[in-house]
Amino acid sequence: MEKIQIFLNINDKPCEVMIYPNDTLLEVLRDELDLTGSKESCGEGVCGSCTVHMDGNPVRSCLTLAMEAVGTKITTVEGLANGEQLSDLQQSFVDHGAVQCGFCTPGMLMSADALLKENSRPDEKTIRKALSGNICRCTGYAKIVAAVAHAGNPQDHCPDCKPGK
Amino acid sequence: MSDYTIVGKRMSRVDSRAKVMGKAKFTADLKLPGMLVGKIKRSPYAHARILNIDISKALALAGVKAVVTGKDTEGVKWGVFAYTRDQQFIQTQKARYIGDEVAGVAAVDEETALKALDLIEITYEELPPVFDPMEAMTSQTELIHEDFPNNINIHVNIDTGQVDENFKKSFYIREDTFVAPEESYFQAEPYAVVARFDHEDCLEVWCPNGGPHMKSKPLSNAFKIPLHKVKIRKIAIGGAFGGRSEICPADYICALLAKKTQKPVKIEFTREENTIGTRQGHAMITTHKTGVDEKGQVLARETTCYMDGGAYSSTGPIATSVPFLSMEQAYRMGSVRYNGYRIYTNKPIRGMIRTHGRGFACGLDTQLDMIADHLGIDPVEIRLRNSRQPGEYTSTKSYVDSCAMDETIHKAVEKSGFKEKWGKLPPFHGIGIGTNSVQTGFPMGIRGGSQAFIKFNEDGEATVMSGVVDNGQGNENMLVQIAAEELGLLPEDIHLVSADTETTSSDPGSYSQVSTFVGGHAVKIAAQNCREKLFKVAAKVLKVAPEKLAAKNRLIFVKNDPGSKRCKASKSIPIKKVVRISLLNFNSVNAEGGYWPRVDMKREWVKNPYGQMCEAFSFGTTIVEVKVDPETGQVEVLEVTAAQDVGYAINPLVLEGQFEGALTMGGQGGMLTEYHEWKDGRCINTNMLDYKLPLACDMPPKINNIIVESIDPKGPYGAKEAGMSIAMSAAQGYSAAVSNAIGVYMDSFPLTPDKILAAIKERKAQSEKKEPSKKNEVN
Repeated sequence: MEKIQIFLNINDKPCEVMIYPNDTLLEVLRDELDLTGSKESCGEGVCGSCTVHMDGNPVRSCLTLAMEAVGTKITTVEGLANGEQLSDLQQSFVDHGAVQCGFCTPGMLMSADALLKENSRPDEKTIRKALSGNICRCTGYAKIVAAVAHAGNPQDHCPDCKPGK
Repeated sequence: MSDYTIVGKRMSRVDSRAKVMGKAKFTADLKLPGMLVGKIKRSPYAHARILNIDISKALALAGVKAVVTGKDTEGVKWGVFAYTRDQQFIQTQKARYIGDEVAGVAAVDEETALKALDLIEITYEELPPVFDPMEAMTSQTELIHEDFPNNINIHVNIDTGQVDENFKKSFYIREDTFVAPEESYFQAEPYAVVARFDHEDCLEVWCPNGGPHMKSKPLSNAFKIPLHKVKIRKIAIGGAFGGRSEICPADYICALLAKKTQKPVKIEFTREENTIGTRQGHAMITTHKTGVDEKGQVLARETTCYMDGGAYSSTGPIATSVPFLSMEQAYRMGSVRYNGYRIYTNKPIRGMIRTHGRGFACGLDTQLDMIADHLGIDPVEIRLRNSRQPGEYTSTKSYVDSCAMDETIHKAVEKSGFKEKWGKLPPFHGIGIGTNSVQTGFPMGIRGGSQAFIKFNEDGEATVMSGVVDNGQGNENMLVQIAAEELGLLPEDIHLVSADTETTSSDPGSYSQVSTFVGGHAVKIAAQNCREKLFKVAAKVLKVAPEKLAAKNRLIFVKNDPGSKRCKASKSIPIKKVVRISLLNFNSVNAEGGYWPRVDMKREWVKNPYGQMCEAFSFGTTIVEVKVDPETGQVEVLEVTAAQDVGYAINPLVLEGQFEGALTMGGQGGMLTEYHEWKDGRCINTNMLDYKLPLACDMPPKINNIIVESIDPKGPYGAKEAGMSIAMSAAQGYSAAVSNAIGVYMDSFPLTPDKILAAIKERKAQSEKKEPSKKNEVN
């Protein structure tokens, strides 16, 4: 098989990369573009660790061919922060103790980010449903749900919300 | 209560920022110049002699840089203990499970490596396999390991008090058997290894681990290089839960390939490989026989447990003991006989797991509930009548110092409304309680202690060096919190060098639950020693005795004169200045500190299972409320209340996360959905689709975390193990709740819908026949 040249748009940056036609988007992100934030945990689209956005929609990059990303805008976890400034969602994860081993975190953030863009004040049930395609083995999900609910929306009753930090 | 500034506070973890940015590097994220892709060839047979291996075709494939087999090794057998040396890193004679390592390949890319694996031609002679541990013990076919008759790997025997006499004195005796198949860790990060030999012939390895010093020694032995030339490096780790404690053949194979090629090599496991090629939890068949007096106090107990150990020993002696030890810590049992058998089978290797012995523990607690039922007392009462008290000795003669077991029970009962609900809920709505205890440490011999080093840098900030490893539970943050507290700095002033065997001193490892108790303690002592040096210098400057000084917020000041936010204390000096003055006056600004728990060094898992096991024990109670759908057998968890005596909460935010994660793994998954299925020795649910892990939508909306502090006299700030008592008691709580909901005491775990429906059906049939209740039924 011969390598071919494709043009991608990753985190608002155009890039040119040589790929095999059967390379997945996850492989290209991690191996060719050094964007190792997106992870492989199951390799079959179940765990959500590889979740990225394609034109704003969460997709499984382990089941997406790199070719399919051509002509679309891809956002990865590396594109959530504004330089050194964490997004409200990322900061909320940090403040609420929603990160333990951190392996599921990038995918979890991408799914949550997509949810919040669609529904800025989701209730608990909605959050849990939206995150049910992301498997976490460490946290039991409780603090992840709290972090998503309180992102950019600090609550008086929550000891971990830090308004105006 | 305490006047700590940083310790005891809810604090966001120091490692979270890098993780939310996707910057934290896990093993598979590493790229080194010239790095090759490694792959492992695994036996397709559960039991087979290896007759011949031909690697010529594989070696000839373009892009293949090295192929290794058992011939490249000295065939030495390794074991966690000297008496369990049964595993070669690459098999030379026999494969003992589907997945056993028989060869390794390093190539320029993954596709070439995989093609090369297929080109390795191995001639096997199949041998009859055994998959059932009871069958394995009586099997007449070839032993799995020739030195272990009847395929019995480990036999732990504990016998204390007057068991037989006390059975005779008992008012009521029950004997029940409980079974649970194996479960798996399913760490989010699949196992991976990167290895390279550097220009000084030092071996560098990156891999998920439960203790880097546990990896360096076997590699030092295997490659015959001294420990100072084996550098297990610090790396972000995506969970361990007990499944990454010891050396893995993949570590050795990767290093061997790196040696042969003189290039870095990376091996990444698939999810399936992680499930069958690392460790699993043990399947167990446990029979408890318990005799009580009229009040329900246990007079005698006899427990026999058969554990399916898989093909090699791993941490066999520990695994065979811990399920029993946890229960003897949680409950008084002066007269007890325990026989634990770990049996070889031709299945993947079993190791220690966070919920160790779910069937064992749930069995013992379920039986207590059945006994309580018979005596007309409630489950809380019977636990209080048998619960561990401070100042007692366990039956294997460990002194229990701090213990707030009863407080965890009372607080959980109050918060959950147990007394108002139990026995008063409508059909198929139940509530249950589980209690357990976990040892803060094991006898670890030469690796029982931890030593830390601290150096101050010229700018007044500090670097802390500790062997403690973080698997995701927050150990790095714990060390920084402690160091900052003791040094008088802020957490952001501290850089941590940890879990690196080149620079950090030996440490017991996180899998023994002592990262805080021993590792954190060592850092505390090192920091205090460092502070003392600075105080001596500061005392001269401030013209007061060193004992009058304190350190906080980057200042050293006279106690009771710390100044306010707006103005500095009249007698204070910035730490930065003290460091500079020290260095300019030929004074050291570094210090070390070590902590070794005083345990009985003669205590041994098999030969002498008596004596002080560890210095502290944690105690946990979990109460669960559920609704069961009698049509589908599905369980809806309404509320979980988890209360643990953690000694002292160094960071309540982190602790809550540990409780929540623990009950999810031990209770939600461990009791409702997690188990492995097999066909002829092949695990058929190795991936996340077929092995059901708890999802966000499965978890109850309400989890109550109750932190109980008994302030252990030995633990740093009074802290002990935190989280594992919840993992284990949650399994028991879930089981008790479901049993209560359906009116049947369950004896086979996990409680999947088919089992629940069958139990409901049987109960209905029995009550329709109006026959007296049999076996496990409740009225």
